[in-house]
Amino acid sequence: MRSDTEIRATSSSSAPSSFASGVRSLVEQALDTARQRGADYADVRLLETAREDLQVKNAQVGSVDRSDSVGLGVRVLVQGGWGYAATGFLTKDAVDACAAEAVGIARASSGLLQTPVRLAPEPPHRAVWSSPCEVDPFHVPLERKLDLLFRIDDTLRRVTGVAIAEGFFTFVKKRQLYVSTEGSDIDQTIVRSGGGYSATAVSATEVQRRSFPQAEGFHQTRGYEFIESIPWVENAERVGEEAVALLTADPCPQGERDIILEGSQLALQIHESVGHPAELDRVLGMEANYAGTSFLTTDQLRVLRFGSEHVTLMADGTLPGGLATFGYDDEGVEAQRWPIVEDGLFVGYLTSRELAHTIGESRSRGCVRADGWHHVPMIRMVNLSLMPGRGSLDDLLADTYDGLYLETNRSWSIDQLRYNFQFKTEIAWEIKKGRRVRMLRNPTYQGITPRFWNSCDFVCGPEAWKPWGVTNCGKGQPGQVAEMTHGAAPARFRKVNVGVGYDD
Amino acid sequence: MTESEARALLDEVLVAAQGREVEAVLGGGVSRLTRFANNEITQNVSENRVELSVRVVDGKRTGRANGNDLSKEGIERLLDSAAAAARVQPEIPDLLPLPGPQSYRSVDADDSTTGNLGADGRASEVKRAVERCVEAGVTAAGIYETGRGTIGDYGMVDAMAIANTRGLAAYHRGTHATFRISALDGAASGWAERESWRASDVDGAALADRAVEKAIRSRGAKSWDPGAYTVVLEPAAVADLLTDLSWISLGALAVQEGRSFLSGRIGERVVGENVTLRDDPFHPLHRGSPFDAEGIPTRPTTLIERGIARGPVYDRPTAAKEGKESTGHSLPIPNTIGPLARHLVLEGGAGPAEALLDGIERGLWVTRVWYTNVVDPMTATLTGMTRDGLFAIEKGRITHAVRNFRFNQSVVEMLKRVEGMSEAVRAGGVVCPALRIQGFHMSSVTEF
Repeated sequence: MRSDTEIRATSSSSAPSSFASGVRSLVEQALDTARQRGADYADVRLLETAREDLQVKNAQVGSVDRSDSVGLGVRVLVQGGWGYAATGFLTKDAVDACAAEAVGIARASSGLLQTPVRLAPEPPHRAVWSSPCEVDPFHVPLERKLDLLFRIDDTLRRVTGVAIAEGFFTFVKKRQLYVSTEGSDIDQTIVRSGGGYSATAVSATEVQRRSFPQAEGFHQTRGYEFIESIPWVENAERVGEEAVALLTADPCPQGERDIILEGSQLALQIHESVGHPAELDRVLGMEANYAGTSFLTTDQLRVLRFGSEHVTLMADGTLPGGLATFGYDDEGVEAQRWPIVEDGLFVGYLTSRELAHTIGESRSRGCVRADGWHHVPMIRMVNLSLMPGRGSLDDLLADTYDGLYLETNRSWSIDQLRYNFQFKTEIAWEIKKGRRVRMLRNPTYQGITPRFWNSCDFVCGPEAWKPWGVTNCGKGQPGQVAEMTHGAAPARFRKVNVGVGYDD
Repeated sequence: MTESEARALLDEVLVAAQGREVEAVLGGGVSRLTRFANNEITQNVSENRVELSVRVVDGKRTGRANGNDLSKEGIERLLDSAAAAARVQPEIPDLLPLPGPQSYRSVDADDSTTGNLGADGRASEVKRAVERCVEAGVTAAGIYETGRGTIGDYGMVDAMAIANTRGLAAYHRGTHATFRISALDGAASGWAERESWRASDVDGAALADRAVEKAIRSRGAKSWDPGAYTVVLEPAAVADLLTDLSWISLGALAVQEGRSFLSGRIGERVVGENVTLRDDPFHPLHRGSPFDAEGIPTRPTTLIERGIARGPVYDRPTAAKEGKESTGHSLPIPNTIGPLARHLVLEGGAGPAEALLDGIERGLWVTRVWYTNVVDPMTATLTGMTRDGLFAIEKGRITHAVRNFRFNQSVVEMLKRVEGMSEAVRAGGVVCPALRIQGFHMSSVTEF
């Protein structure tokens, strides 16, 4: 299922990549050194990253930053223990030292092992893969991108009462050469474009914000054509007006209410309460000291009623435009699509080659990624989406007698087993007899994950489904930042605790 | 990178600038981390990198380019890229020229044993800690991280050396060692950490003992009702709440934009008079950098003195707006965040945290908090979870484990209700005591 991504895989024995020969020889040298020093398995990732960050705040440039980074990481197994070393110095000596250090580290690991690591088999891939990109964002003149940000800023600030207008665009291009002692040779290029803006209004007691298209920006693995497909300026006046109106809106009531979550808020709900607990490394205790563990223990697989029959969630490394869409993950496993929750039943995990066997699976699902050459790959969420149901948002509102409609995330928190969550959105609307009757400020809701998903009784249809994204997902020690897409349409949840956090 | 190596490289940048006004910043170093879980080493990594950030100032315009290609060609590309970015943008009316030469206090923060500690040394320390957990019948998970330089968490790189074409030259390099351990027994868990500038301060076995004791005490947690409780927050919990407070409230931009509880309240009593909060990189438990991201010397700054708001931290742009001098807390310029206090010191009292139990009829002991986030910026109301050791306090004694709570609590209100404090230690990047707080809001219970 790769409808608009380009896959060019080849079984040719010659390297298909067009990486410069000097770069390729360094990568091969790292692999040879690791092998000669005693690695039982090794893979090497050489990664070139370009990033552009543009920000405009209150009619002034906030930043115009260009970042380029290149380096390689060597991951090895020695006697079943892991070692990883990375260097940004691409000389023969530095690369040799790096590979040797990885082997030395792995030997130290092997001295404190309960069970030697064994990797699930994956056929060697020799491939070139690119995400679709019609207009390379790095070839679009800076002036043009800044001009759009200034036009947004100007429209926001024309609304009386807007104190802070902020807008940004971020463009990232990553090109990676991955080789392994098993014979994989993968040259992969991924381009990501996105951005967002917000208006903030301030009174003596309130700081209110509205964002567009979602909090933290809207991003996809596409080129500048994605930026041009979004009605940025057209929405700015409404966004500014809503921020100002929130200062004097009624506060969110307290108690149990039926709630409808708008797609981007639901995306973060999926991320925190479905995606993270389904990471198999968490489940098995490997994140216990930092991010925590999970209530989705392996005895719950194909047993737990995670949600109602309306809830089907698909993990998908192939989703067109997805932020975690790729040809192959960072340990050379081909991207896949599979269910995590099917008609409410918990049926799947996010896995790696190291851990697939612990749940009786013979192949990794391809969820291993690193946020750069300097960091070791680990299990990260791929795109994870709530499958659409039926009906439009208007249909859902019309079907709601007494409830709240919550839009756009403002804050989030969840416990280390992923049970107790609390979210705040930027805005809510009270729904009475199927109609929006008033705006509400400071809406919060809190729940326990499986109870919450079992209270879902309406998911809107494909016409309301959008591939929202997260670009600030933190995990690991040292911490790494990953991005992924969570497609969702608005959905309704019955009898949820709202209005928490404002009783001090 | 040594001082002379850094200076030589930065000199190359300034020469290549060819008369342009340029700031060059080097950061990076070596960071090594051994991670363990289920009583074995599960991940073991090392990174070695240096990043160069170049900013060109062209009148009222400025552009920045960052990279790790330190060759002559790489430096020229960065300069051209930064200059091109500056050229195409509108003027920034408030943009200041680069600062001139500064003088800095030296900070002794570089320990060669720590800087050179390898995988075998880390594995030995981890092994000692894991053995203590295994002996106690619980499962160990944690990290031992050491490094030299300015690679921070999430791959962030701070300034190690700065030079600019107006003659400013700054250099600071430190080492660090952090050991964190969780002891797990089913859903019961305990936790301990030690962070220092030198590895000789780290005792993995002793930390394991603390975590094990808490894990064993955490067995059989009872569910208590949500409500307002007198709590003892261990320093790790206090540090987490203060760090969030710093991000949302203690920088001058937040105050100037009216987003902080300090806005319009400088000189007024804002919290209890037993609260004095400073930012001080020179505190012996911090040993932080003596300069900010522009090379301005960081001044120890009193934020709150015996409950009275004394002022936020400043960078040059926010200071200029008020006709003041920067306190040296800038992030890379320009930015939309404003200055940041990153070396907080909350003055403590004397004695251990356990001394705070005395006289508490019914309360809670909080080992640490987790996943805090801002609910309301003006009141600095945060939500988050208790974690790894929540215990009942009854009649001045810790009696049993309690199921973890979600809290919703204004940090400002909390600091008005401090009933006692232990001596200050370093925890979670902050120097702070354990605090005894009256009326801390636990708002919902979780499942463990």
